[in-house]
Amino acid sequence: MTDASGTSDTAVGGPVGRGGGAPEPKRAPRWRKQLLRSPIAVAGFTIIGFFLLVVALAPFLAPYSPTSQSLRSTYIPPGVGVSFRGPEGQLGLWVQQATRSPIAGVVVADEAYPVRFFVRGERWTWLFGLVSSDVKLFGVDGPVRIYLLGTDEQGRDLLSRLIHGAWISLFIGLIAVLIGAGIGVPIGAISGFFGGTTDIIVQRVVDIMLAFPGILLAIVLVATFGTGLQNVMIAVGIAAIPVYARLVRGSVLSVRNREYVEAARALGRRSIPTLAKHVIPNVLAPIIVQSSLQMAIAILFAAGLGFLGLGARPPQPEWGLMLARGREYLAVAPHVATFPGLAIVLVVLGFNLVGDALRDALDPRLSK
Amino acid sequence: MFQYALRRVLISIPTVFGVILIVFLMVRLAPGDPAMRLAGEFAPPETIERIRERFGLNRPMHEQFGIFVVNLAQGDLGRSTRTNRPVMQDLRQFFPNTIELALGAITVSLLIGIPAGIVAAMRQNTWADLVIMMGSLIGVSMPVFWFGLLAILYFSVQLGWFPVAGRGTFSHLVLPAVTLGVSSMAIVARMTRSSMLEVLSQDYIRTARAKGLMDKSVVLKHAFRNALVPVVTIIGLQFGQLMAGAVLTERVFTWPGIGRLLVDSIDARDYPVVQGAVLLIAVSFIVINIVVDVVYAVIDPRIRYD
Repeated sequence: MTDASGTSDTAVGGPVGRGGGAPEPKRAPRWRKQLLRSPIAVAGFTIIGFFLLVVALAPFLAPYSPTSQSLRSTYIPPGVGVSFRGPEGQLGLWVQQATRSPIAGVVVADEAYPVRFFVRGERWTWLFGLVSSDVKLFGVDGPVRIYLLGTDEQGRDLLSRLIHGAWISLFIGLIAVLIGAGIGVPIGAISGFFGGTTDIIVQRVVDIMLAFPGILLAIVLVATFGTGLQNVMIAVGIAAIPVYARLVRGSVLSVRNREYVEAARALGRRSIPTLAKHVIPNVLAPIIVQSSLQMAIAILFAAGLGFLGLGARPPQPEWGLMLARGREYLAVAPHVATFPGLAIVLVVLGFNLVGDALRDALDPRLSK
Repeated sequence: MFQYALRRVLISIPTVFGVILIVFLMVRLAPGDPAMRLAGEFAPPETIERIRERFGLNRPMHEQFGIFVVNLAQGDLGRSTRTNRPVMQDLRQFFPNTIELALGAITVSLLIGIPAGIVAAMRQNTWADLVIMMGSLIGVSMPVFWFGLLAILYFSVQLGWFPVAGRGTFSHLVLPAVTLGVSSMAIVARMTRSSMLEVLSQDYIRTARAKGLMDKSVVLKHAFRNALVPVVTIIGLQFGQLMAGAVLTERVFTWPGIGRLLVDSIDARDYPVVQGAVLLIAVSFIVINIVVDVVYAVIDPRIRYD
């Protein structure tokens, strides 16, 4: 009995990687160490950390606002007008005005202006009005604009739009995972723990949801309830519910007859508290792993919906939507479609790497 | 075996009904007048009235569902509000193209994914393994539509090897099939690798090696055949995923398939066609899953879900 309660107590403290049931109070540090030593994990966390930083500092990092346009400078290729030497051979970043003329194509003006760090630029407010400033990480000291990654069809700076769009992808992923786990985990746990009719009904509903493969369920929901960012978050979140429900049900089935659960029951604990205190903490490992992988899937789905024109609406700098616009000018300005895609790949890769590493560290039996 | 297959089919019937219910509710739950949705935004009042009458939209919900199911059983999904063609006719025209694309994609993913997985397993923890596994991780992290656009950019626009869009000849199929197959390829490679690694550590492989058999024959004859079992399941499941992925791929390559029909219809608020396309994709996915389960039971007699 003491053994059993000991298991669940440590499980609440370090609730991971405990499918085996044997009491191993020193397990938590071990998985953490393994995680930090894994190059896959370090790469994944670095990528995610980078994007979180970009989200947090977006208006400071981005030279311009995502909607500020210059119709004289449409489809400027990346880096045009930017050079590492000034007019008199000085080192540093220098910018010459790049404009597009209907006849001559891209024209670069003669005058060069230096790029300076921590300059004053457009005024911005961030984090729901908490922060307000006009300081930018870098900007040109002169009457020209810098386009490190080029411009789109309205002459908007692509780098600025990418930076400002980062939060959209991460936020959709986060909300979708919260919805999916928040609803799917309890449903799956109850289904697996109680069994019987509840289980049969829940699993039939899950079957029906899983009959819509991949992005299709999200498409169905958006087609029904309307497009837009908010509905995309909800749709992608709902699409994740059956995945969690199935996963948690299976894990709960495997622990529900363990001694410590029986012990809790024998002690007269009610079902729901037993489920919450002794069962769910012991199935957290696969949930955590799935959440990282699900973030990746949610971001891909959201970008897919944006690409199909069912998600964010112009002029929102959502990466999938930017890609869709870029598709129309692929031959003229391939960079407009290339960079948003790269951003998506990178952030999705980050979550997939972390998911893989977590799986290896938390539950070696799950790793394939 | 027949009994198992039959039971598998029977179990799926409630799921199919659930799918039909969801498709039915798509039009009714959405904000606005369902008759207007089915008739199209600019339909004259008499058309809306006719639709209301035909689908029983002024009757109670359960009766409406009954009418919907009866119509469906007769192959009647209504008419497109854009073209006024019967929805069934549209589906019949576009669906084979999606199957063609999905078959192409699955072929690509097997032709590359399986050998890559075997090589990675044989050379476990070498640079070849690392490259293949990294490649497959990038493969699953990539939006298919982005890969498709890059493929068009380099192979169609710059090199001119393949047509930019459309369907017709074999060369039209190459880029869409590769694009759609990339993520499946990555998953097949990972699955083959882990399945091979598991089989290679089994006793009978050691026995085969101890008998002095060539490495190649051990791998191909003894290991691969047994490693194939879980891979078959993945292939089946991937086929369903490919049908969903086709929605994006078909948009990129303007491939005249069911996915493009679906998205175009959503754009045009052509709800009868949206319903038909969604229903068709979901039901084919259910059918594929049944087939996979039965095939699985045939190739691995240990598995019968009693």
